[in-house]
This record gives sequence, C-alpha cells and structure tokens, in this order.
Amino acid sequence: MESLLDKIAHCVEEGKINRSSPYPPEMKDQDGADELTQWAVKQGISPDDILQNGFIRAMDKVGKKFSEHKIFVPQMLMSAKAMSVAMEHLKPFFQSGETKRRGVFIIGTVTGDLHEIGKNLAAMMIEGSGWEVINLGKDVRKEKFVQAVHKHPDCVVGLSALLTTTMIHMADTIRALKEEFPQLRIIIGGAPVNQEFCDNAGADFYAADPQAAVVYLKQLS
Amino acid sequence: MTGKKRMDIAMHCGQPDRVPVMCQLSIGHYFLYSGIDRLTIWFTSEGFADALIALQRRYNFDGILVNLHGRPPDWKKYVENIEEQNDEICVRWKNGCYTKFPADDNPHYYQADGTVYHPELSEIEPEKLYYIDPWQISGINYPFTWDFSGEERSGVNFFPEYINDTIKKVIEKTNGAVSVHGEVYSPFSQLLELLNYEEALMALLMDPGKIHACLEALTQGTIHLGISEAQSGADAVLISSAFAGSGFLSREQYEEFVMPYEKKVIRGIKEKSDIPVYTHTCGGIGDRLDLMMDTGTNGIDTLDPPPLGTVEFENAIAQTKGKVFIKGNIDAVNELLNGNEEIIRNAVMKRLNIAKAGGGYILSTACSVSPRTDPANLELLGRLGIENGRYD
Repeated sequence: MESLLDKIAHCVEEGKINRSSPYPPEMKDQDGADELTQWAVKQGISPDDILQNGFIRAMDKVGKKFSEHKIFVPQMLMSAKAMSVAMEHLKPFFQSGETKRRGVFIIGTVTGDLHEIGKNLAAMMIEGSGWEVINLGKDVRKEKFVQAVHKHPDCVVGLSALLTTTMIHMADTIRALKEEFPQLRIIIGGAPVNQEFCDNAGADFYAADPQAAVVYLKQLS
Repeated sequence: MTGKKRMDIAMHCGQPDRVPVMCQLSIGHYFLYSGIDRLTIWFTSEGFADALIALQRRYNFDGILVNLHGRPPDWKKYVENIEEQNDEICVRWKNGCYTKFPADDNPHYYQADGTVYHPELSEIEPEKLYYIDPWQISGINYPFTWDFSGEERSGVNFFPEYINDTIKKVIEKTNGAVSVHGEVYSPFSQLLELLNYEEALMALLMDPGKIHACLEALTQGTIHLGISEAQSGADAVLISSAFAGSGFLSREQYEEFVMPYEKKVIRGIKEKSDIPVYTHTCGGIGDRLDLMMDTGTNGIDTLDPPPLGTVEFENAIAQTKGKVFIKGNIDAVNELLNGNEEIIRNAVMKRLNIAKAGGGYILSTACSVSPRTDPANLELLGRLGIENGRYD
C-alpha cells in the first residue's frame, strides 16, 4: 500500500498543490501536497522524514526529468509550487531547530537584470533538495549580497543573469563577495553565461541548469 | 540591386546578387551607439527612426526591423520631471509612476510603489483582450490602454493613429533603399508579458480553457496590427515569439498553445497583404522547425546555435531549404559580442558555406545583437557578408 510519504512525493512530482487545484486532471478532487503534509505532521511523522522522503525525493525526480527534457518549465513550476505550499507546514520545525536543512543558499539576479524565472526555478529546485533558500529577488546590488552573506557566513551564493549587459555585474559581485569572504562558494547561471565566463569571473561553479546546481550542492553538504 | 530588392528575393527563397545582411539590434545598442539620446529614441517615432537608419547605414544592413511601435507625439505632457543620476535616467510621470532608463538596456516602467504591474488571470476577461504591447510607454495595464490617455479603445479603433509612425518615417527617410520590417508580438508572448512568465506558464496547466480564450482574443488584435503595418508600407512582418522554444515549452505544448494562433496570425495577415511574415523564436527550436514551418511562416529567424540554443545549422538548412527563408544562426554572445576578428570571420564563412547556396538565406546574428557589442564587430560582419556573399 502506498504510504503517506509516497503520496506526498507523488503529489509534488505531479504538481498537485491541494484538493481544489484542477491540475493534474487525473488527480481531480484528491488531496494534494498541502493537505497530505498537514495530515502527516498531525500523524506525528517526523518533519525530517517528510522533507527527505516526501519533498526531496520528489524534487530530485523532477530535476532529473527536466534535465532529460521529459518535463518542461510549466510542469516544473507546478511541482515547485506544490512543494512550497506543503513546505509551509514544516516551517515551525525549521524555526525551532527541530529539523535542520543542508545549509543556507542565497540567490538573486544581479543588478540591472529584471529577469527571474531561471533564478526562481533554481531556487525552487535547491529548496527542494533540502537547502534553506534566501531569495533576494531581481536587480540585486552587490552590497545587498554582501549584507546577506554577513548574516549567513557559511552559506553558498547563487548569481543569475539573463542579459549580456548584466552578466558583467556578476564579476563585480563575485569580486566584492570574495574580497570579504574568500572561502565563500559561488554558483552562477543564466543564458549568456558559460564555463569560460565562470572561470574568468572567479565563480566556483557554472550551473547549466537548476539540476546541475542541485548536484553540485549535494557534494558540498 | 537595392537592399530592399535583395531582401525581397531572399525572403521568397530566391537567390539575389548576394546574401543580404541584416541583424536585429537591441534597444540598448541604439542607446549606446546611434548618437541619439535615450529619451529621444524611446519616446519619439522620429528619434527611433533616425537611430534605426544611423546604424543600418553604419553596418551596411539591407534591412531594418522596427522593433518599437510609434509613440504619442504629446508624451511630454504626462511627465512630472526627469532626473539623472550617474548613468541612469528616471522619468517621473504625473500619475506617480516612473520609468527607469539604464544606459544600455530597455527602460522599465514601474508603479509608484516600485512594483511592475501584472493582473491575475482571475481578473482577466478574455473578451477584453485584443493586443498587449509590453514596451509601450505606460507599460502593462489591463484592460489594455495606450500611453497615459487612459482611453479605452476597441475593435477597428484599438490601435492609436501614431502606432505605425516609426515605420512610415523609416520608409520615407530611406526612400526605398532598404527592406523595412514591422513587428508584432505573438499571442503567446503577449500572454506571458501580461500575466508574468511564471503565472502564465502555470496557467497553461491550471486553466487551459481560459488560456485558449485569451490567446484567441489576442490573435485578432495581432492580425489587425500586422495588417496595419503592411498597409503602412512594411516589406515584411516579424512575429516575435521569444518564449516558444524548448527552454520553456515541450513540442506538445508548442502545438497546443503557440502553433494554432501563429498559424491564424500568419493566415490573417496574408489574406490582406502579400508581404512575407516570418517568425522569431529564441533558444531551443532545433526540435520544432517542422512545426514552425507548418504555421505557414515564410521564414525562421534566430536559429540560436548551442550553447544558447539547440539548432545544428546544417541539419536546419537541409530541413528548410526552399521551403522557408532562414535568417540568423551567428551566436550573438560567443561569436559577435566576445569574438575577435578571426572568430567573426570564421563565424560568417561557416554560415555562408552552409546556407548561401540556392538563396533564401539572410546573414544575421541569431538573437538580438547585445547592447555592448563593439560596432567594429558589426561593421566587420557587414563587410564580410558583402565580400563573401556574392552569387556571381
């Protein structure tokens, strides 16, 4: 029989947010990740177990399917949405320290760049792999990244840019961050970015897609 | 042979005297290198027309894409003040909203509280949609109205009189020497701009029925605009469909949400004019060239090569030759922005070797030329195309 955690994982993988969500049509009028997670918490299933065997397991499959072009951005967004709604039920346990995540990941689109879909997809996948994600948003100045790292000195930072005009600000931001935090790990990604740019800019890892960032972060934690 | 004639032959899959050269330049590139100030380019039809022509002449392009619509002549009456700080200009409007102008990128329009407005899908009544222009001077609004007049328009009166002023001015000033192209946003692009990308992409799955109703309504306005561009003298209409590649959608989603509406747009424009209509889709289109051709498009623009896209150019040419014209494939970032003389030379020669024979090819970057691309690189591209693109 399918366990409650299997059901949660299935809802996240399929993007079933809650009972009222019409997607996917074959799961119409069924409980979604929201209700099932709430129920799991009430049943006393450990939040760690929910995180690992519900969310992380599902998002790992989602990331792989996305990398293999078996699903596309709309489905991935639905999975991430289902996970983030369900994750709300675990927030009290994160705040009390009862449940620990793999680390803190700070992400933002660099200054001047107003595009955030790629950055948000990466943020969702990384959160789904067990990291606490602090999403600074778009058009983020380097000073704001530095300020955020001061609060979380053991974090990993992700920088995103879609435009060739703004990718140059990545290098500035990396310089500013590395100057104050030489040990800090920085991941970069975005359409115009490549490995050569990553090497020249002094970042630690170039993530060609969100799953690549997840795999890299797994090695660190 | 004029550039206009050369482009026309190539766009009909024929072989002119040489391969035409024409790149789409980003607005930021005009800001930086046309010699005309940002506000004049963005807010005036005349200023943008002059910028388009200045760089077409400098780079020896055979055509011009007019990728901003005409502007209201009275825009200044809505301005509260204009502030300049460092490299950035901020235009504050009397309604409390503001537009920020970076030195090298498209300006963005903000609400008074600093947010960018997007309506929720639940607010939208599909029958109130007709056309969404994300780059009009007062940004996205709903129900969509042009500029700051707040005047609700519908049907045949939807588009303001000034909408094609830039096209008309470019045609007048170039006097038939170059091919002048208008642009419309695909219904799918309009929807993504209206709702914001993430919300719109999730809505494809959550409420496909309503999405189809929205796309159907936007298709009607898109046809209307395309016809009006043709009637204003444009030599071709480009459908800007940036989000329809495999970076966003599967082939099946493309078939459901993009293809039927672009097919209708193309058919609708062609029913009232005989100019070519072609499609610009960025990124990953290597897996869907057949579907794009099935829309009835006359040409395919961009064809981004890896790593930015997924188009293997030899395969693409083999698949499309003689059926549609091809424009693009030079990597705007890795070859043109970051390239040196040797890289650019190799890039041009490679494309000409693959695509020149038999005609129907326009030498161009895949996606738009990045703002800070050195003009010398574009001059070189133009020169190499002219020197090596001859058919005789």
